[in-house]
Amino acid sequence: MFQRILVANRGEIALRVIRACRDLGIEVAVVYSEADRGAPYLELADQAICIGPGVATESYLKPARIIAAAELANAEAIHPGYGFLSENAAFAQQCRDCNIEFIGPPASAMHRLGNKNQAKQVAREANVPTVPGSDGLINTDEEALHFAHVVGYPVLIKASAGGGGRGMRVARNDETLLTGLSGAKAEAEAAFKDGSVYLEKFLDLPRHIEVQIIGDQHGNVIHLFERDCSLQRRHQKLVEESPAPNLPEKVRQAMCEAAVRLAKTAGYYSAGTCEFLLDKQFNFYFIEVNARIQVEHPVTELVTGVDLIREQIRVAAGEKLSYSQADIKLTGAAIEVRINAEDPANDFRPSPGVVKTWRPPGGPGVRLDTHVSAGYRVPPNYDSMVAKLLVHQPTRELAFAVMRRALREFQVEGIATTIPIHKQIFNTPEFIDGNVDTTFIERVLLPRGK
Amino acid sequence: MADEKRKPTSAGSSIRKKETDPIAAPEEAVGAPRPFDVKTVEFLIRLMREHELTEIDLREGDQRVRLSKGLPAGASYSLPAMSYATPASAGAASSGAPAATTAPAAPVKTLLDIKSELIGTFYAKPKPDKDDYVKVGTRVTADTLVCQIEAMKIFNEIRAGVAGVITDVCVKNGDPVEYNKVLFRVDPS
Repeated sequence: MFQRILVANRGEIALRVIRACRDLGIEVAVVYSEADRGAPYLELADQAICIGPGVATESYLKPARIIAAAELANAEAIHPGYGFLSENAAFAQQCRDCNIEFIGPPASAMHRLGNKNQAKQVAREANVPTVPGSDGLINTDEEALHFAHVVGYPVLIKASAGGGGRGMRVARNDETLLTGLSGAKAEAEAAFKDGSVYLEKFLDLPRHIEVQIIGDQHGNVIHLFERDCSLQRRHQKLVEESPAPNLPEKVRQAMCEAAVRLAKTAGYYSAGTCEFLLDKQFNFYFIEVNARIQVEHPVTELVTGVDLIREQIRVAAGEKLSYSQADIKLTGAAIEVRINAEDPANDFRPSPGVVKTWRPPGGPGVRLDTHVSAGYRVPPNYDSMVAKLLVHQPTRELAFAVMRRALREFQVEGIATTIPIHKQIFNTPEFIDGNVDTTFIERVLLPRGK
Repeated sequence: MADEKRKPTSAGSSIRKKETDPIAAPEEAVGAPRPFDVKTVEFLIRLMREHELTEIDLREGDQRVRLSKGLPAGASYSLPAMSYATPASAGAASSGAPAATTAPAAPVKTLLDIKSELIGTFYAKPKPDKDDYVKVGTRVTADTLVCQIEAMKIFNEIRAGVAGVITDVCVKNGDPVEYNKVLFRVDPS
């Protein structure tokens, strides 16, 4: 087991890893940038090392500085947290080349799964369904019609040279497909100097369901069931829950087994998440693998009783997984809300600054993961998440009641937070009924509030 | 039976004042003498002035007082002592910090800092048996080689970047240094 670990991250996830190290009796050092100097959570580590100015590209994103800090701290392993360098395969390799273990998957798996096309290949190898695509460019109307009839409408026409949502059109029948095609080709030619297009099945109002997996360096991989993360705004998750509501047991089983198959095929170990989209007919399609620990990992910790960070550390140290698949049981219902320093009344404008009042909730069924306390200055340089508020109860209904209670108790002054929008979310009938999709927040909830 | 009236004390008047203070001192409300009260902080400030200290950081159990004179450049917070003092000392530090960060009794020369931009190990000399690159009193120019910092087995030569006379050598040979660690102080005059 490691004697000392360096945490190469900041804020709540850095604190999370520090806590896991304490539980395991491992010494822990943490890095910080000038923008995080003086933050109270740093004092909970054995050593804090300043690695650069506030701007992330000069500090938290600088592999050389992180590794130098690990050497300074005599750390045998680096935990990258999430974001920053956590999915940087080259960094993972550099650490290991310097004889410092990277607490995460092997670089080879990160390479394979980091590239979306390659990841789809792995999925196909593992017999995991992916979003059907035309697998090549569409050159004639006949090819387009053939594809659409095989996969079924609606289909998405995508420009190969496009990106970031540009150059995409939805077609719901033969007529709109053909007119859409010529329109899309012309647009693509004008915008990207490349008129080539391809087709993909378009999933109407899908749900985002992901499966937590963890593997060890001995070839064992298990799943820890799923999380439903459909409530999103601008592709950022706001709320996550487990188990996914209104999900037939057969579908749950199939998705979880698919995730394990995919991880094994990729030679994956450590914690990871397999993301799927679920359509209204309960068909699921692989989207991507997040080859790291995720923000919402505590949701799974609550329903399974497994400490994922401690398990990550054990796996990195070469130990076998502490659990077999049969040991993993899902009990009750857990929900997490992400509390960000943003102002929902002003288009979620970021609200950095000094926290004057911080009265967090507590009591039965409540877990709060946060690095913030009264007097803390939320720096403007990083993402705006200030806390993760979680509840765990025997039923989803009770979980909602406890979350409402906790949100009501939570008083924050000095910065704006997304607490008000969460209060609204937990009183929204569609969400209470488990009938939301990835477009719900932007399509229904936010316009409703106006 | 004698009526036991509470006599107004000097602490009492400061209680009233602090109730309207946005950063109220919670410990005053308790009433019992605390280890880190205003008198202690005033004493510490005098100590700092007399001995030209830039920082005092005291802990007892889970109580802590940290007084820090405004350091040149480096720190990005304007009131580090106030923001991160523990609740028990918040009131005391808030009355002490302004005095600590504003002018000390005697005027001080403005010194320049040579700070580390690297994370690694500080070496004051080229080899163990050789002399230090610079010491207190050495006159340097911007190009003067003042030390080496070793990171990941690579030795990096560090130049002064400023001109003047070295007044302080703030680290020892072999010390670990982090980003923005002050290595030397230079009198530019």
